[in-house]
Amino acid sequence: MPAASGKRFKPSKYVPVSAAAIFLVGATTLFFAFTCPGLSLYISPVIPVYNAVVFLFVLANFSMATFMDPGIFPRAEEDEDKEDDFRAPLYKTVEIKGIQVRMKWCATCRFYRPPRCSHCSPFTTSSPHQQEFDHHCPWVNNCIGRRNYRYFFLFLLSLTTHIMGVFGFGLLYVLYQVEELSGVRMAVTMVVMCVAGLFFIPVAGLTGFHVVLVARGRTTNEQVTGKFRGGVNPFTNGCCKNVSRVLCSSPAPRYLGRPKAEQTVLVRPPFLRPEVSDGQITVKIMDNGIQTELKRTKSKGSLEVTESQSADAEPPPPPKPDLSRYTGLRTHLTLATNEDSSLLGKDSPPTPTMYKYRPGYSSSSSSAALPHSTSAKLSRVNSLKEPNSICEGSRKPSYRSEPSLEPESFRSPTFGKSFHFDPLSSGSRSSSLKSAQGTGFEMGHLQSIRSEGTTSTSYKSLVNQTRNGSLSYDSLLTPSDSPDFESVQAGPEPDPPVGYTSPFLSARIAQQRETDLHGRFAGVVSPKHAPPREPSPVRYDNLSRHIVASIQEREKLLQQPPAPGREEDAGLADSGIQSTPGSSNAPRTSSSSDDSKRSPLGKNPLTRPAPPRFGKPEPPSVLRARSLGSPDQPAAPHLGKSVSYSSQKPASQAGVPEAEEVALQPLLAPKDEVQMRTAYSKSNGQPKSLGSAPPGPGQAPLGSPTRGGVKKVSGVGGTTYEISV
Amino acid sequence: VHSLQELRRSASLATKVFVQRDYSDGTTCQFQTKFPPELESRIERQLFEETVKTLNGFYAEAEKIGGSSYLEGCLACATAYFIFLCMETHYEKVLKKISKYIQEQNEKIYAPRGLLLTDPLERGMRVIEISIYEDRCSSGSSSSGSSSSSSGGGGAG
Repeated sequence: MPAASGKRFKPSKYVPVSAAAIFLVGATTLFFAFTCPGLSLYISPVIPVYNAVVFLFVLANFSMATFMDPGIFPRAEEDEDKEDDFRAPLYKTVEIKGIQVRMKWCATCRFYRPPRCSHCSPFTTSSPHQQEFDHHCPWVNNCIGRRNYRYFFLFLLSLTTHIMGVFGFGLLYVLYQVEELSGVRMAVTMVVMCVAGLFFIPVAGLTGFHVVLVARGRTTNEQVTGKFRGGVNPFTNGCCKNVSRVLCSSPAPRYLGRPKAEQTVLVRPPFLRPEVSDGQITVKIMDNGIQTELKRTKSKGSLEVTESQSADAEPPPPPKPDLSRYTGLRTHLTLATNEDSSLLGKDSPPTPTMYKYRPGYSSSSSSAALPHSTSAKLSRVNSLKEPNSICEGSRKPSYRSEPSLEPESFRSPTFGKSFHFDPLSSGSRSSSLKSAQGTGFEMGHLQSIRSEGTTSTSYKSLVNQTRNGSLSYDSLLTPSDSPDFESVQAGPEPDPPVGYTSPFLSARIAQQRETDLHGRFAGVVSPKHAPPREPSPVRYDNLSRHIVASIQEREKLLQQPPAPGREEDAGLADSGIQSTPGSSNAPRTSSSSDDSKRSPLGKNPLTRPAPPRFGKPEPPSVLRARSLGSPDQPAAPHLGKSVSYSSQKPASQAGVPEAEEVALQPLLAPKDEVQMRTAYSKSNGQPKSLGSAPPGPGQAPLGSPTRGGVKKVSGVGGTTYEISV
Repeated sequence: VHSLQELRRSASLATKVFVQRDYSDGTTCQFQTKFPPELESRIERQLFEETVKTLNGFYAEAEKIGGSSYLEGCLACATAYFIFLCMETHYEKVLKKISKYIQEQNEKIYAPRGLLLTDPLERGMRVIEISIYEDRCSSGSSSSGSSSSSSGGGGAG
């Protein structure tokens, strides 16, 4: 029956139970009224008494079976499934007496089904989970479960006995012709006998069936679904014990409808704490599969404090993201986050490696990596909350000034992630952003993803620096910003706003950074805004294009008269690259030109087919193509790498992978990131040098080749997501 | 719940740990004695284990099939189960004992450590829920951070 009507009275479901009741009571009454007097008179008065007792028994058990709650589980509260929600798989296996039993996640009740528990099949949507669910009996209009199975079983037994008794004594009455054959009594007795005989067959059959079930220790559900056809039943204790368990055990309590106990115990601080023997405390972020042991003592609270202290240089975090937003993106966290966690995880707790994942929580059929990554993602998200507090005291609260292009949601994850990386990294990282330079550097070398992240972090902070929210880089060029900018750029920023924002952000940041870095010398400040944006399914595209465009522009400006830069800019513009101010391009280009100069290939940067680096004054077409993921443009990866200016390595531009990428931040090579960063720092060191080309190998960060219709975008910090084009 | 209000005034609920059922012996009610990592810094391991073991003992006693439960069943049958209107079943009696025990444990051991046990009966005997409270004064925003980041990491299942 559809549950749509809710609690509406459904007469149809009462038909069997009514019929059963009517037959039972009616026939028995008739029997007592018509047959028993004669029997008691002529045979024995014990007969009616006996029958009465049996009948009473039948009625009692019938009532209990009908009205008793089979053992309904209350639904899990919200808190309970928090841990399970995002990363837990569909099945959880437990071992029962050596036999593996799978527990399935019940989305309705929000917990894993205990063994032998099930919803009532005819009324699955409306009925709650029941313990040791047997079946739904229409004759009693109730589900039979753990609590009322005994009564149901006894009802069957007693009913069989009763039917047999009624039939037998009726037969006796008829056969012995106690009274005249054609009397009313005889007729009634015959009728009752017929009814009894009719019902005897199914009832006895069912009784026998349940006797077997009880002896085997199975439920109807299990028998019917053939769960233990192989013969191995983990729930059986032997025939005798099974029977005694059914008949003799104390009735289990009901879970619903209990008076809720008042919590009278007060919890007041200060709290006692046990002595911590060793100084290691795992980061509380455990559910994301990433555990870091920090050499800090004290409780989690102090740990948080430490973290906050260490990350105080970070810009204020974005508003807390809505976790639900990440749901859809979770699946996108594939390699990147996986890598992430693997790279970071000192000891990643084993994610439940089940075969399937709950629908809606994992869109991909990947392996345990996915929950891992999602958990990592989650952790990042979760870690956002820390940076929130932590970053309060960080640099200017310019967070709000982020470009309007950036979606709020993107900001947060990246931010969180960046922060997450920070403390998780070798502790040294935990220092402020400003110090990220050196550490981030090392970090990058150690862990590519981290380096990426840091890069993006730095970019992010750079963006934050800008006071205006629009996509303009003017402010970047202001002297006030430059010191910070410098320091920020000195090293990879520790908090990589990885994640969704990263490509966007990092590109912008890169742009800004470039702008700032080179703008001063280039003197070109005016951002060349907004070439018409091409509609793109991926927003990052535009940004990267912007960056590339701006960088190139810049380069051009630095190297050549503005006109060519303009051209380039125009070219870029027509490629749909968002306006990257020429200034921002300039540093890039300068560095890229340097790179190109140094590049053994000695290619004309502009003509380079697959210039991985921004720095190269790539032909607009290149940029264009890349950002759109068109094959012929390495620009896209270039853009992606624009975040790390330093990565302008023309030589290393295999170009091919990048060409295929939309990636703003291709996951490609953490190595590349590292190198990019290296290069960047180098560039930093020589602000004046246009192209302090990052030695970087890392220019080819952008790369993962685009699959058919799917672009792989790697965000800053190494997050990769695939965007179908 | 007014007492919960008081709780909130003095300490803030940071997170919850769930001790899952131990099904290794079938469907008899047992809980895992594995020590949840979240409690690492909050309570001594052996205190926790002792609590869970005692609870397991109680549940085993409740589900015990012996003379008293058999007699109870017979009596119930004989009275057409009307006896249940007057008398408490054996299981219910043990549940009351359990509830008292949990209350006592909370008062003596867990509350001073900023933890609270919840009777598994309220959760359908599926988990023992342990609420972890943070000292509001000292943790401040970090408690919210902790609650968000370590969301119920407990039930390792």
